[in-house]
Amino acid sequence: MTRTVLTVDDSRTMRDMLRMALSGAGFNVVEAVDGEHGLEVLSAHRPDVIITDINMPKLDGFGFIEAVRVDDDYRAIPILVLTTESDPGKKQRAREAGATGWIVKPFNPEKLVEAIRRVAA
Amino acid sequence: MDELEAIKVTFFQECEELLADLEGGLLAMQDGNDDGDTVNAVFRAVHSIKGGAGAFGLEPLVRFAHVFETLLDALRSNEIPGTADLTAVLLRASDVLADHVSAARGLGMVDMDASAAMAAELKAWTDPSAAPIAAAAAPAEAEPEFEGFTPIVIGADDGMDDDDDLGFDFQPMTISLDAQAADVAVLDNVWTVSIRPKSDLYRKANETGLLLRELARLGPIQATLDDSALPTLEFLDAEAAYVTWSVRLETEQGEEAIREVFEFVDGDCELEITRGAAPVADVLASLMDVALPEPATPVEAPIAVAPVAEAPPPAPVAVSAPVPATPPVAANAPAAAPAAKPAQIEVPGPGQSVIRVDPERIDRLIDLVGELVINQAMLAQRVGEYGIAPSSNLAMGLDELEQLTREIQDSVMAIRAQPVKSVFQRMPRLVREVANMTGKQARLVMDGENTEVDKTVIERLADPITHMLRNAIDHGLESPEERKAAGKNPEGVVRLAALHRSGRIVIEVQDDGKGINRERVLSIAVKKGLISPDLTLTDEEIDNLIFLPGFSTADKISDVSGRGVGMDVVKRSVQALGGRISIASRPGLGSTFTLSLPLTLAVLDGMVVDVAGETLVIPLACIVESLRPKAEEIRPLGPTGSVLAVRDSFVPLIDVGLTLNYRDRSPPPTEGVVLLVEGEDGSRAALVADAIHGQRQVVIKSLEQNYQQVEGVAAATILGDGRVALILDVDAVINLRRRGPPPPADPTLIAAE
Repeated sequence: MTRTVLTVDDSRTMRDMLRMALSGAGFNVVEAVDGEHGLEVLSAHRPDVIITDINMPKLDGFGFIEAVRVDDDYRAIPILVLTTESDPGKKQRAREAGATGWIVKPFNPEKLVEAIRRVAA
Repeated sequence: MDELEAIKVTFFQECEELLADLEGGLLAMQDGNDDGDTVNAVFRAVHSIKGGAGAFGLEPLVRFAHVFETLLDALRSNEIPGTADLTAVLLRASDVLADHVSAARGLGMVDMDASAAMAAELKAWTDPSAAPIAAAAAPAEAEPEFEGFTPIVIGADDGMDDDDDLGFDFQPMTISLDAQAADVAVLDNVWTVSIRPKSDLYRKANETGLLLRELARLGPIQATLDDSALPTLEFLDAEAAYVTWSVRLETEQGEEAIREVFEFVDGDCELEITRGAAPVADVLASLMDVALPEPATPVEAPIAVAPVAEAPPPAPVAVSAPVPATPPVAANAPAAAPAAKPAQIEVPGPGQSVIRVDPERIDRLIDLVGELVINQAMLAQRVGEYGIAPSSNLAMGLDELEQLTREIQDSVMAIRAQPVKSVFQRMPRLVREVANMTGKQARLVMDGENTEVDKTVIERLADPITHMLRNAIDHGLESPEERKAAGKNPEGVVRLAALHRSGRIVIEVQDDGKGINRERVLSIAVKKGLISPDLTLTDEEIDNLIFLPGFSTADKISDVSGRGVGMDVVKRSVQALGGRISIASRPGLGSTFTLSLPLTLAVLDGMVVDVAGETLVIPLACIVESLRPKAEEIRPLGPTGSVLAVRDSFVPLIDVGLTLNYRDRSPPPTEGVVLLVEGEDGSRAALVADAIHGQRQVVIKSLEQNYQQVEGVAAATILGDGRVALILDVDAVINLRRRGPPPPADPTLIAAE
């Protein structure tokens, strides 16, 4: 069965990059433009894995992860955050919010798919 | 990689938007709206540019964006106060960032010295040890400006290094490794990994089952579950973690590879990796010793609980149970509330599907629709020739076809329509730069950025607008001192507006400066021999002299306006688009340049006329009325000219055939039809044609592309009967006449037709 990945990022470029890498690896991709939108898409598509950015308008990555983790329906979904090397503090905050793992930007498709494989059943 | 290239295009598009957001946010901050949202949005814009740039390895852009972002981060977390000075620096930094984006795109170069100086200035704001002002004054000395920033490295494993600094409670326990390895040199590819998950591991949706699967990728594994710590069912906390896994792994890969498997659960489980030499038979026993944290209570596992404990990934069990600390209802509420808000229109989410289409396909479609219009016109003409009654079914069907064709045309054109915003948003920077360069104070006010116009028109709007703005600041606005002396605000206001007016787009550039100095303009025009000294001109006519070729005021060429481009070039480029430009000026109060363009370059409503056996099309937008002149209304003027009395005024009579050199001698105007036309500057003329065929929508075919530019002719078209007709450039015809006898026309053109 094709697995669905939800990508949450306010940058169109980043969403496109993720889509290219994920579609290429055979994933079904659904997208959201911020945390609020992510929660809407979440209920509509029930993804198997979530990849989220941190800096976003409306609801940022931390808030989004927290909201997913307190929802009984979704809290078992693995969440990977997109982080940059230069900010280890953010990664730690994301983990505290309940992130399953992380992807360091800029990522290459192999690393991305590997990270998903590591967290997705 | 085509797809990557396409994303790169998207990236640069997004950069344009982000740069516009950045500038908009900074301008809002300048106006005092520095609330948290604005600062956050400004930060995100730079952050996103940096992120995308990193993905494409655009190093100089990433480096500058990083320095910029660091300062914005400090600002948004209130580490440094927002001041007017800081905002001014940020605005200039946004200009440098825009340069970096352009350079990354292959458009232009970045002044690396200026960029380094800017970066140093930005750094000085966040670095408390450096006095910002001193650093700003001497930017050049800060040569190693990017220190402290490590270029982004691809690869997730580098992320592990960070963790060591994060104060995780996990400590590697590899003390006995060397000794063991020495003991069992034969089996040094065998490892013992013991994993004791904490409940946090499951809370973050990690699973031991997946960790085991990852380990199995490194080599054959034997996993043993120790469920001895598992309480009886009645004492079982579904959210807690009780089990310990011991894994015997055979792999040629080193400890690093094994440790990497546990990267995501670092700190969320107790992990022990030892080079296990024990013979297979002893593994179980040794594991018990090594792995169990509390070996004091080995005991028998209760059989009743075994099924639960055996489930290799216990996570699902834990997860489906309710979390006592957070009531589900409360948790759902915040998630549901924002759901009601619609997503922003500009950012189509996955729900709204967006189709990307190659513009060439749309151009092709537009071309085809153009042909359809021609074909429909041809059909209408044939039907007319057969004398079919307008009330007949055929004629009515044809009318419907015409309407449908129009609608299709409008719809197709709408595909290409875009807001002028993309051009407008480049202008604030221009105004800042020009004002800086000329020592003026200028504020740009924009209006109607969302006015839509055909993409092809938009692309060609930038140059005329740029030039008009430069001109407005450089020549229109006074210096702050002059303004104060005149009792005006030292800061001049330049207004840039776009609006739709009767099927055209109108762009207005208005300044509140000193207005056109008519005496000076007139004397320059006379001095340069552009007009004869004895000519009496109205104020509007004098104002419009600045559009004459060769007028460009050479005695005050500045860096800004005097780039060898006069207003005449602007006018010509506007006319090439089928547009008009005019000026209205009031001394001491300012000037307004008005640019009007067709919404599309593809079609034109025109009047088809006969002149000396040739068929011409006169743009309908220029025509005020058509009339048959009476002999008594025509008065001679000068040796060759004549004027027509139209109501209370006299209008010069222009024979189109003579102007375009179709004939040497004009027939009496009373034998023909007169079209009263209005030029761009509001000047009127009466064009004489032999006969009128009626109104048509014609598809514009560029004469320049297919032949060459011809004065007096704007473009060509193909009529319903398949003949080629020239579209008249009314302003050019009026000017040709005004300037005296027409230049010899190119006879080959007429023959070629």
